[in-house]
Amino acid sequence: MRDSLYLAWRYLAYHRIKTAILITSITLIVFLPVGLRVLVNQSADQLTARAEATPLIVGARGSPLELVLNSLYFESDIPETMRYAEAIRLDTMGLAQPIPLYVRFTARGYPIVGTTLEYFAFRGLEVAAGTGLTMLGDCVLGARVAEQLGVEPGGTVVSSPESVFDIAGVYPLKMRVAGVLAFSDSPDDHAIFVDVKTAWVIEGLVHGHVDLSQAGAATGILRRDSSVITANASLVQYQEITADNIESFHFHGDLSTYPITAIIAVPPDQRSEAILRGRYESPDERSQIVVPVSVMDELLDTILTVQTFVIAAVVVVGLSTFATAILVFLLSLRLRRREIETMVKIGGSRGSIAWVMTSEIVVVLLMGVLLATTLTLLTSQFGSSAIRALIF
Amino acid sequence: MERRRAWSSKRRLVSAVGLGALLACGGDEPREQAAASEGGTPVVYTVNYPLQYFAQRITGDVVRVVFPAPADLDPAFWQPEAQVVAQYQAADLILLNGAGYAAWTSRVSLPAAKLVNTSGVLEDAFLRVEGVVTHAHGPGGEHAHEGIAFTTWLDPTQAIQQAAAIRDAFAAAWPEHAATFDGGFAALEADLMALDEQFAAAVVLDPARPMLASHPVYQYLERRYGLNIESVQWEPTEHPGGGMWRDFRRLLSDHPANWMLWEAEPLAETAARLRELGVQPIVFDPCGNVPDNGDYLSVMQANAEHLARAYGRVGS
Repeated sequence: MRDSLYLAWRYLAYHRIKTAILITSITLIVFLPVGLRVLVNQSADQLTARAEATPLIVGARGSPLELVLNSLYFESDIPETMRYAEAIRLDTMGLAQPIPLYVRFTARGYPIVGTTLEYFAFRGLEVAAGTGLTMLGDCVLGARVAEQLGVEPGGTVVSSPESVFDIAGVYPLKMRVAGVLAFSDSPDDHAIFVDVKTAWVIEGLVHGHVDLSQAGAATGILRRDSSVITANASLVQYQEITADNIESFHFHGDLSTYPITAIIAVPPDQRSEAILRGRYESPDERSQIVVPVSVMDELLDTILTVQTFVIAAVVVVGLSTFATAILVFLLSLRLRRREIETMVKIGGSRGSIAWVMTSEIVVVLLMGVLLATTLTLLTSQFGSSAIRALIF
Repeated sequence: MERRRAWSSKRRLVSAVGLGALLACGGDEPREQAAASEGGTPVVYTVNYPLQYFAQRITGDVVRVVFPAPADLDPAFWQPEAQVVAQYQAADLILLNGAGYAAWTSRVSLPAAKLVNTSGVLEDAFLRVEGVVTHAHGPGGEHAHEGIAFTTWLDPTQAIQQAAAIRDAFAAAWPEHAATFDGGFAALEADLMALDEQFAAAVVLDPARPMLASHPVYQYLERRYGLNIESVQWEPTEHPGGGMWRDFRRLLSDHPANWMLWEAEPLAETAARLRELGVQPIVFDPCGNVPDNGDYLSVMQANAEHLARAYGRVGS
């Protein structure tokens, strides 16, 4: 038996290119459907883990998927905005802790997440350097943002204008970096956090400028009546909030009408959650409440349907490749007729010769399966990191 | 789930607060700096002295109440530095006056779950500040930086309601001490009701008598006791300019008052000139910051005595 195995091994080693091609084919046939499944499962786990950690999301009526993707991953288009009054209403209900989110603006390609201090406690985010948010105009960077921008606490980040063609639009805000968050292996690593009021400053709803009733503001005034002072376009609005000008920053109108994109609602128990969801079922309700994990499950169901088709295709391709491999072996038997005759002439029995041939096939199959298993293990080990790098 | 439970207990204590409070809401060395829950004692921060006084009366030694504004500043217009804001963030509760008092609270990040808006139940009774200049610029159009009269505690009945809000928040946060809080509140309520009677008695002879005030901060006092007050914008520590005196004489001809309320003693020169015009300056300290002598109650009792002089109960 050892002799047969030796002969089979020497044959495979001598025809190393043919052997390598066969092993690669077998490896791919086995690995592709299995590895794909592992990757898809890991992606699903990654996506649902954050959704599972987020009990409920309230947003304006519209696409639930857009709302969830924007609120959890700070991706996708900006969902319909709603009034901050909704967060106050939710708080007044007493059924859940509301954490408002305003995810609309960006700075150097990274999303600016306007929220409240409760968000950091809710996500378990720790400050690795500097401090958390304290003053209007402060921002806290996700670990990856700080790393990639090379910015430390005390530095600044400037918000990006929404449109380069909007010359008369809102000026960018220079935000002071108060701190950098510890690495959390989540989309929070790739975001810039500000107080929701700072997000409103970026939008121009909150701003600071010289006191128009003071003599120094004369050049910025278009018209002055007994009770109305109208400023002209030259009125300088501060683009950075400093200790010297912070007191001039003011809110226009009723703050409860200011926009937010979503509210993370954290009910204390399942009963409160059920009651809260019921409150939003009314047909007159202008807001929607979604369970992120359900929305993500729907998305994953779609992905899994596609995955089934892909795996079916891979299996068909695999079967045809396997058939080709068998054909290769059968053809090689024809090509090796003289070799087999020689083995017979030197006294090799039919069984021994068949055993040598079978050994060659078994070795190739075993090596292919072994490699495929190794690749699958590597995928399950490092796939999640690769997926995170791709989707976050 | 742990986090959810933690919020649940917080939820109960700030039921009267909401995120609305979050919205309603340099160079100074804070009088007192303290980290939250030092040595296991809960720590509560306030935005003015009256709230600190009310909270201390209610809690006794159960809670440490901190009001960190510098003594020489009006807390209504104070802007704390980042490290002081961090102390507020670390407190177990933050007592807000509401009514737009301490506008700095809207320019910093404070944890909504810890905010207690003590005047939340008074919102329908708030008085708007008149004479605000409207201005317009940018896409937002015309708007006014108008405000709400924020010295809510000058009406003792409102002060009682604010104190009740503090008691309720404390009882929700530390239910094991509810009896202590109830006892403290009852004693404070009795004192504030007595103060209310004292104010009412001080002005009872002629509440509609014309009265002047150096600052528009007495709106709730005026409403509570039916007073007739016209205000200017004079600082006790500054000499009024020529134009201000001219306007003052015009005001005096329309509103012939013999007394003028001041938040603090005016400069001697200002006082002398007022007397020349037949107006006696008299101090009515709103007590927004910690008084140099005595406490909130003694300052308010002194205010009542001064009112009694102005309104003829006691000879001047």
